[in-house]
Amino acid sequence: MNKQKHSMQPIPSHDEAVRQDFVTDFRAFLTDEIYPKITPYYQSKIEPDFIREHGRKPEDKKEVQNVMLQDSAYQSWSFLQRISQQMMFTSVIDTVERTLDELIKKTKEYSELGTLELDQTIQIPSYLTAYDIHQQPGGYHTENTENDISAGVVYDISLPIYSGDAMGDENDLLAQATINFIKNNIKTIPKKILDMGCYIGNSTLPFARAFPESEVHGIDVAAPGLRYAHARANALNASVHFSQQNAESMSFESNTFDIVTSCLFLHETSHAAIPKIINECARVLKPGGWMIHLDVYPFQRNVVEPLYDFLKDWEVINNNEDFSGALREMDLQGIFEEAGFTKETIEFTSAEASSETNKGYTGDFYLKLPVYVAQKMA
Amino acid sequence: MAKKITLPRVAKGKNLVYLDDNSVDNILAMVMTLTQEISVLTDRLDTIENLMAKKGQINTDDINSFEPDNELQEKRSERRKTLLKRVLLPIEKALDSK
Repeated sequence: MNKQKHSMQPIPSHDEAVRQDFVTDFRAFLTDEIYPKITPYYQSKIEPDFIREHGRKPEDKKEVQNVMLQDSAYQSWSFLQRISQQMMFTSVIDTVERTLDELIKKTKEYSELGTLELDQTIQIPSYLTAYDIHQQPGGYHTENTENDISAGVVYDISLPIYSGDAMGDENDLLAQATINFIKNNIKTIPKKILDMGCYIGNSTLPFARAFPESEVHGIDVAAPGLRYAHARANALNASVHFSQQNAESMSFESNTFDIVTSCLFLHETSHAAIPKIINECARVLKPGGWMIHLDVYPFQRNVVEPLYDFLKDWEVINNNEDFSGALREMDLQGIFEEAGFTKETIEFTSAEASSETNKGYTGDFYLKLPVYVAQKMA
Repeated sequence: MAKKITLPRVAKGKNLVYLDDNSVDNILAMVMTLTQEISVLTDRLDTIENLMAKKGQINTDDINSFEPDNELQEKRSERRKTLLKRVLLPIEKALDSK
């Protein structure tokens, strides 16, 4: 059955395809049928029980967590949500494993546009090796064979299952939001753009398409992602320069880029890495250049809603996203200022994908996303 | 023939326990995988039935190249939802209980 969106994606067999379809429907079932029951269940059972025992409501997410983790109905949902992610990966890995030899051979045909520079001396940071982010087996960096691209392919074909087909045929919905933000708010045509932590380039390519005159670069530490990114960009007829670099310390010269951006990247790093990455953004930007990071997590809020705060952390605990909760608590404003961004330009706002870039998007998932924006001093 | 590449299928990370103990979690995980396989078999049978209705004789290639149209995709999604509703009834019931 053909689920192929471009020629670097594998074609699943009949049973693989319907096995993947089951996971899509399983995740939709959990989202649509089970998850909406949790808040009413909490309000009608968990919270009254807590009040009976303590004479007051739970004060923070920690207190909610203490009771929820003891509750088998909540834990059943939580466990199902967790294994739906595992089932997603095992379902697509079958297809990737079966077709990998052919796909690796194919990368040679898809290499004309743009460039690919790998650097074997790059160390994979411990925040990527300590555990497998998003429960993707082997993580994003593991090499299972020579010239491996498997982790990149797995990532590309699981995104539609993860998002319930909400990311578009090229998995580019999020970058479209950033591009809209640039067009509406920054209003410059950037000559040189850098996307940090680009992985398979699904959020890098849209920049090459939106700004055809610009030179677009993508960096990442994971070689299997970059090899696939370059072949994928060629399959989609886009020119991007991919290189294996660590965003904490890049080889680009200072004052190079008009825009430095990232998509769902910062929350996968660490306390120690964030200031280094932001300093590097400031260094490689031209004076007056803009930094725009898009991330999924809402900023620290003043309102205390213990259940909301607890449920928002679900991915942190249950989907191997250890740093994403901590990022929200960091003083990013201070870090941006220290790095040399103009105080008045620092903004924590949101970006949206507009209806005109909405081709084929079927869900409203991710339509309004937090962006962290700042301009380097001119 | 090239050496067969085997990809990892288990993610590295904390071993979390959700229900009474790990064995209960494992049983629920296995139940969901069996449910998935029932769904796969049902869809395969559905493909065969659809192909047989169009032509008298079919082979594995016909099955693998079969493209369900949107209507059939939706029908299958609905059937999967019904299957999930049946299998997960005890959990829905628990969350509904006041």
